[in-house]
Amino acid sequence: MLGKLTWEAVPWNQPIPLIAAALVLAAILGALAFVTATGRWTYLWREWITSVDHKRIGVMYVLLGLAMLLRGFIDAVMMRSQQALAVGHSAGYLPPEHYDQIFSAHGTIMILFGAMPLVVGLMNFVVPLQLGVRDVAFPTFNSTGFWLTAAGALLVNVSLVVGEFARTGWLPYPPLSETAYSPGVGVDYYLWAVQIAGLGSLINGINLTTTILKVRAPGMGYLRMPMFCWTALASSLLIIAAFPVLTATLAMLGLDRYAGFHFFTNEAGGNQMMFVNLVWAWGHPEVYILVLPAFGIFSEIFSTFSGKPLFGYRSMVAATLFICVVSFMVWLHHFFTMGGGGDVNAAFGIATSIIAVGTGVKVYNWIFTMYGGEVRFETPMLWALGFVFTFVIGGMTGVLLAVPPADFLLHNSLFLVAHFHNVIVGGVVFGVFAGIEYWFPKAFGFRLHERLGKAAFWLAFTGFWVTFTPLYALGLMGMTRRLQHVDVPEWRPWLYVSAAGVVILAAGALVQAAQLVVSIRRREALRDVTGDPWNGRSLEWSTPSPPPAFNFAVLPQVQGLDAHWRAKQADLAKPRYEPIATPRNTATGVVVGVFATLMGFAVIWHIWWLLAAGFVGAYATFVVFAWRDRDEDEIPAREVARIDRARLAGLRARETRA
Amino acid sequence: MSAAAHVRATGHGQGGPASKRIVVGYGFWLFLLSDIVMFSAFFAAWAVLARSTAGGPSGRDLFEPPRVAAETALLLASSFTCGLSALATRARSLVWTELALLATGLLGAAFLVLEAQEFAGLVARGAGPQRSAFLSAFFALVGCHGLHVAAGLLWLGTMMAQIPVKGFRATLERRMLCFNLFWHTLDIIWVGLFTVVYLLGAGA
Amino acid sequence: MTARDSLEATPRDRGDRAPGDAIEERGLVQGLAGYGLGLALAAGLTAAAFFVAAGHLVWGPAIPMALVTLAVAQMGVHLVFFLHLTSGPDNTNNALALAFGVLIVALVLGGSVWIMAHLNHLHPAMAQMMSMRR
Repeated sequence: MLGKLTWEAVPWNQPIPLIAAALVLAAILGALAFVTATGRWTYLWREWITSVDHKRIGVMYVLLGLAMLLRGFIDAVMMRSQQALAVGHSAGYLPPEHYDQIFSAHGTIMILFGAMPLVVGLMNFVVPLQLGVRDVAFPTFNSTGFWLTAAGALLVNVSLVVGEFARTGWLPYPPLSETAYSPGVGVDYYLWAVQIAGLGSLINGINLTTTILKVRAPGMGYLRMPMFCWTALASSLLIIAAFPVLTATLAMLGLDRYAGFHFFTNEAGGNQMMFVNLVWAWGHPEVYILVLPAFGIFSEIFSTFSGKPLFGYRSMVAATLFICVVSFMVWLHHFFTMGGGGDVNAAFGIATSIIAVGTGVKVYNWIFTMYGGEVRFETPMLWALGFVFTFVIGGMTGVLLAVPPADFLLHNSLFLVAHFHNVIVGGVVFGVFAGIEYWFPKAFGFRLHERLGKAAFWLAFTGFWVTFTPLYALGLMGMTRRLQHVDVPEWRPWLYVSAAGVVILAAGALVQAAQLVVSIRRREALRDVTGDPWNGRSLEWSTPSPPPAFNFAVLPQVQGLDAHWRAKQADLAKPRYEPIATPRNTATGVVVGVFATLMGFAVIWHIWWLLAAGFVGAYATFVVFAWRDRDEDEIPAREVARIDRARLAGLRARETRA
Repeated sequence: MSAAAHVRATGHGQGGPASKRIVVGYGFWLFLLSDIVMFSAFFAAWAVLARSTAGGPSGRDLFEPPRVAAETALLLASSFTCGLSALATRARSLVWTELALLATGLLGAAFLVLEAQEFAGLVARGAGPQRSAFLSAFFALVGCHGLHVAAGLLWLGTMMAQIPVKGFRATLERRMLCFNLFWHTLDIIWVGLFTVVYLLGAGA
Repeated sequence: MTARDSLEATPRDRGDRAPGDAIEERGLVQGLAGYGLGLALAAGLTAAAFFVAAGHLVWGPAIPMALVTLAVAQMGVHLVFFLHLTSGPDNTNNALALAFGVLIVALVLGGSVWIMAHLNHLHPAMAQMMSMRR
């Protein structure tokens, strides 16, 4: 009746996961109780859960990403503390079976459920506003993509309470991930959570690519788009190109586990190396999917906070497209040591070194953007400057690793771990926080507390370097990654320094949370009345904060690059209002997400009747959606005019401020 | 087309947002390209594992050219009738649209029946996907295509039910466009499949 | 149902076409002829492929090349006659998207085969080593 599911699936005899699960459940129940007590269910359902507005969906993505970033950070705290404690005769406090799940969950959550939703959320919120249009190309599809990602995240977290997680690392290499060596449900949780979330990501890639190529304001040719839109386009193209490879590879592993196929098994001719090859053919583009939008965010910030247009716009576009294409030609550098031989290693090593040129072009352009400008060191700019310093060093260690003979010594050492955290934290995480600080006023109508924001940055920046510099040293000394116990006493002081760094990072996280709480409390004092708190250059700053549902009462006529900056210099035109059609809210997205979660849970625990029922339900939802008669509501012209008064008031406020 | 007209074009120029038909069609085209990339990953696995027969039967022992020829002919014919349904939709003829769609569905279903028979026969001979890595890759690749055809038939049936009820409204016309793209792309993938896996594979 | 689409700013698209859409001005007879010609060409190429594979038409070692060429030709026939993909400026986005997809397919397929072939040569699987020892 319930497949493999029994009461033993709950970790009654393991205190740490049990307590963690209890805390998470308490937090969820507390949130539900709060919503019920304040009578906000109708509001939540109508304004957020069934919303197809890209601004709402973008905010929900960011909230999901931040929550999962926190969960991944807690995993990291446990890993660092275990390694600092378990040196020599001491055993630490985490048994190996548990430690393995923690590092696997840490990587999976951080990349797929932390960084991806954060980056995708920012792209979702900002791109239509920067393009001067009302929404993305496929609003209901957008909602479905979000709820599928949330379903995947939910499954990963359910594994904490019911069952176990994979012990294979964040990429489940066979034969360890095959049924023979991982007979439990851990790898299955991973497989289905990632497949479901991967579908959500693919939906996003298609949506954003179509929007950027086919849905732009009149007059906005390709070379008049803001830089963030170009990087969002490159990232979305990579999503379309890379995620199908992941889907296929995980499906093959799934067929091996569920149906006795022999893609990657030890017997009957399976080839484990092929898994490594295919999964990194996805895995390398994935990190560029994450970092390219971060580059775009920094382009926006550097030009806004220097008061100058971005230096070398065309070379930036060229560099972005160059990185996009070449990122699909370097994936073997993740397995130089697999034994492909000199020819393939040399070819991919050279390609890896070449791709650094694209980023180099970008870094020089950012520096030249600042040169001769009036640089303002507000919080987003601090994150940007911290990024340049951190990411350039991380990139250099990457070029070191790109040399195959060097990589033979450093592969899977802590040097590698330090390198990829250097570029992902320095690039993606710094970029996401910069973007949140930058666009928060636009999304919510009030600014974030400036001094707390600066403090959070300095704690994060310092904490990062204190945590990861020792790891570079340890890697060069020969320490491998993923060790639950450390045998070399000479490594102990370095591990202590690294653990201290984590404490600094934790303080940074607390201050960041405090910034949010304090800003919400003081939101009237921090209110943004002009819609343009940073004296921005692109079209999102020409809307009120927060923008109305339809973004622009009249689609702007774009005359050139930095469209909003141009408009600010010109006179205000009297707009002619027309009725606006808006897509209707629908529960399709959240219902599909629910059925996806049920199907995932069912297939993990071999509850076949539930799987069939979930599929029928999902298909029925699709038919109901396809059968609806009205898919748009119309806002009458008079209502548009009334709402637009907020924008006109903001323009007047900006005039008086200037 | 003059340069000025190109610049003023909607969608890919400065003419403002494209119409819904173009937006929907282009988005679906991108989805199909992602699907082709997914097939190429299964293709790559098959290419790597083509010789890993683990002492079991290989393509030469198993494939029946007449069956493959029949499957190819059925799918090609269904592509043709699908094109006819597009013409019928443009001409707003409900009867011809439904007939062409029905023909497409029947031809596609016949294709699936032949393929299911082939799979069942292989399993009965002990040449199922659990026998060797080569057979795993074969069943996954060809089976993935078959699953897509089956999904297409489900979609086809839903649309055949919907058009008489709702008429030729803009949303349904856009879905017909998407279905046409989907069905023709499946045939393009089958061309790759039958050439490389069956014809070349039997020679190996 | 409103006449105006939420994303539409211009009433008619100039110089842009959805993938799979034939040119508007063609009549029914022309459309039928197009699909019919596509069917005939594809069928002919398919038949040729089966004959080549059976060894009747081409010198043995050239068969793989011939089959691949015929396959590419068939795909081309599908793209032109069934999917109405042309090289005109109104189809630029559609053709470029296809080109990007083809590039990725080439990289994934070609790259994987190249890498795995080198690997298998340097580190043969157990079964291969046994057959090599004999």
